Amino acid sequence: MTEGRLGFEGLDACVHCGFCLQACPTFLATGDESDSPRGRIELMRALERGDLAVTDPALIYHLDRCLGCRACEPVCPSGVQYGHGLEAARARITAARGTTLLTRAAVWALTTPGVSGVVYWFARRLRSVLPRGIAGWGRIRFALGMLVATKGDRGRDEAVNGGRRRATPTASHRPVPPRTAQLFRGCVQEGLFSHVHEATKRTLSVNGYETREVPGQRCCGALHAHAGLLDEARVLARANIQAFGDGDEPIVVNSAGCGALMKEYGHLLGEERGTRFGTRVRDVTELLAGDGKGPVAGAPLDLHVAYDPPCHLLHAQRIGAEPLKLFAAIPLLQLVPVQGAAECCGSAGLFTLLEPEMSRAVLETKLEHLRHAAPQIVASGNPGCLMQLGAGLAAAGIHAAVRHPVELLDDSYRVAGRYE
Amino acid sequence: MSSALARDLAAIVGERHVSEARAERFTYAMDGLPTHRRVPDLVVLPGTREELIAVVRLLAALGVPFVPRGAGTGLSGGALADQGTVLLVLTRLNRILQIDNANRRAVVEPGVVNAKLGAAAKPHGLQYAPDPSSQTACTVGGNVAENAGGPHCLKYGVTANHVLALEVLLADGSVVELGSPGGEPWGPDLVGLFVGSEGNFGIATKITVRLTPLPRAIRTLLADFTSIRAAGEAVTTIIASGIVPAALEMMDQSCICAVEDSVYAAGYPRDAAAILLAEIDGRNVDGVVAETEAVTEMLRKSGARSVRSAATEVERERLWQGRKKAFGAMGRLSRDLVVQDAVVPRSALPHVLETICTIAQNYGLVVSNVFHAGDGNLHPNISFDATDPALKQRVEAASAEIMQLCIDAGGTITGEHGVGIDKLRYMHLIFDAESLGAMQAVRRVFDPRELVNPGKVVPIHACREWTSIRNAKFGMRNDTTGFNSAFPIPHSAVEVTR
Repeated sequence: MTEGRLGFEGLDACVHCGFCLQACPTFLATGDESDSPRGRIELMRALERGDLAVTDPALIYHLDRCLGCRACEPVCPSGVQYGHGLEAARARITAARGTTLLTRAAVWALTTPGVSGVVYWFARRLRSVLPRGIAGWGRIRFALGMLVATKGDRGRDEAVNGGRRRATPTASHRPVPPRTAQLFRGCVQEGLFSHVHEATKRTLSVNGYETREVPGQRCCGALHAHAGLLDEARVLARANIQAFGDGDEPIVVNSAGCGALMKEYGHLLGEERGTRFGTRVRDVTELLAGDGKGPVAGAPLDLHVAYDPPCHLLHAQRIGAEPLKLFAAIPLLQLVPVQGAAECCGSAGLFTLLEPEMSRAVLETKLEHLRHAAPQIVASGNPGCLMQLGAGLAAAGIHAAVRHPVELLDDSYRVAGRYE
Repeated sequence: MSSALARDLAAIVGERHVSEARAERFTYAMDGLPTHRRVPDLVVLPGTREELIAVVRLLAALGVPFVPRGAGTGLSGGALADQGTVLLVLTRLNRILQIDNANRRAVVEPGVVNAKLGAAAKPHGLQYAPDPSSQTACTVGGNVAENAGGPHCLKYGVTANHVLALEVLLADGSVVELGSPGGEPWGPDLVGLFVGSEGNFGIATKITVRLTPLPRAIRTLLADFTSIRAAGEAVTTIIASGIVPAALEMMDQSCICAVEDSVYAAGYPRDAAAILLAEIDGRNVDGVVAETEAVTEMLRKSGARSVRSAATEVERERLWQGRKKAFGAMGRLSRDLVVQDAVVPRSALPHVLETICTIAQNYGLVVSNVFHAGDGNLHPNISFDATDPALKQRVEAASAEIMQLCIDAGGTITGEHGVGIDKLRYMHLIFDAESLGAMQAVRRVFDPRELVNPGKVVPIHACREWTSIRNAKFGMRNDTTGFNSAFPIPHSAVEVTR
């Protein structure tokens, strides 16, 4: 981390033009400057100057209500580093007030080795008996809806049977010597979305990558960093750097939130090692898209798919075109345009649990647009988004399943007989 | 300000839409020109027209002054509220009430974002022509208050040319309708009077705007010059030729580099002293092509190093995004910024631009120019670091000198940003005390108690001067009732509800 101002210096470039306002999901939900990037920058500046106390309830309230989606960054003409400023401000707030019990409990349960294993085991048992209809708008029923949304195979039957089977592959395997990539497993992704890891390994192998397991890896630390627990995030970052070693192999990540933080380990640690690690991190769609040619084509799937780009992929990692190449590799699959697709779904890691009111307000807009677009599948490359969207769609009675983009490519390859 | 008032306001709009906390009020202390900072006492965000009316009636009954604000992208401090003043934020009044494509008009609430109105009109083959550079954020209500311009106003006219009718909430809480959606109403042009009144006459609660057909053919040219003077002369030549481009914009090197460093990089040549963006549009492709050729020829003859035409719609959009986001990219040069807004006769452009450079050099400042060249509407941006008080003084002195230069060249102190509080100090340079007094008198017709947006536009001290002159001349008492009887509310201002 930069010496001295700890990230606040990233806010200096703001000239208050307001071009970020309409990109901010929380401003769109409330129309309140205090819920906008520009307003929050004023709060953070006042905090740094000492004009507002770190314990100021209104300051904390509005900074807590920020999704951290960073949709304001790619529209900012002056390149204000909002995310870094927010992290700095949250670290100060957390240092002063401590972590709320709910945050502490959630981070503990989801990311502590030993503990989380039990939590995810129990969660998987629970989801196997829960119906989709359990999802509702109350805290508990929404959380259960999120859990149900992690079932990997629910949409698969529909997808595979809906597509036309072809006995022979449509194209030959990419003729390249196999390269290796190290798979990052993560915590939530490993606990509830291990089917996405399987799909990642299979689809990469079709595209010339052998994935290698890396023992000793830990949670990426994103949940901690976003909650202002920077020191804990740094411990995890160092452990991961250690575990993944000093090689040159790409580190493949299929969870956008993890990838975004891991690419910024250099900023988090203020160490060259972290920067080097960051340059190796690749989202799975980046590897699959190859050198712009896109992945090997699969068999047709007759599906209408809405792509919902995760904020931490689109805004934080600036990856927009690569996921579309996955869909383009699936003949017949039709991408349906969704208004406001680039806007946050309101998931934002623990945000959906900690700030349910704002989270649902942001989700509501998203669901309205999805209802209008009427896709069969909503695809998104981040576990939080899949859970949020899955629960929201179910609670709103919209019949669309949620899938990770690599799951769709995986289905397409399976139909094409690439795994036989 | 009492928290009893906050409670009463919360009873109307709901608790969460009244901001009393200091931190929340801080976020409303500035608009798009952060060199001015005023922290309001209370912030209220009504969600419906009815709530807005109820809020204003309550404030009027208590005699509490208030300031309407849209997205807060204004550049003259016009939407700042002083102590003792309530800020009415209209962003939640963001409904497009009607797109009437047969009659080519739309009815919107004041908080509708300019670009969203444009997007709603587009499927009908229509556009809302005024396109301020902040159009992705600014509201139509704010556009009406400031009579906003924009690059394409060169051909299509400014906001005033596109507003057909208004429903206006006066400071006493009464609602009047101005103008007529169907055409010219009887009597004086009250819509024209209201548009550009900077929130001094009331709050527009419903705005009926004219939509114009999208052009069938568009050509966008990028010309680059090795001297600012040559670019300025090219503008004069084009305008003098009788061709009216849809837009004719200039950016100097400092601006070009800031944009090219940003996500809005448009491929402007960094080594150019200035670029011109010229757009020709129309209903007839052949005519547009012929005029584009003529303009290209004029640009070349004026010394353009190269002239290229946007080959695709994507490239055209990039060229425009670079121009429109240039102001926001100024943060790359330094952390603080003042932007000026002056108009000069187009023939004076080459001289004025060169002199601005000289002034900047004399004060040791960085000035970046990005502006509506075709209108002669200049926007010199001065970058500086406000933590250095001596530097801040130099910036103020340079600003004043630039303004005086523009006035001496036959220009005026604002083209589209308005007077607000930023240009109060320049008003006496172009208006005498009697004219200022007359402006204030017109304002009092709408708002006798000066409750809405007090302290803006007309420098009060200059007015008082006028008042005392008048009293000496005519032996009148120093009160406001005398004014009002001289300016009765006209008949066409039909009162709808009270």
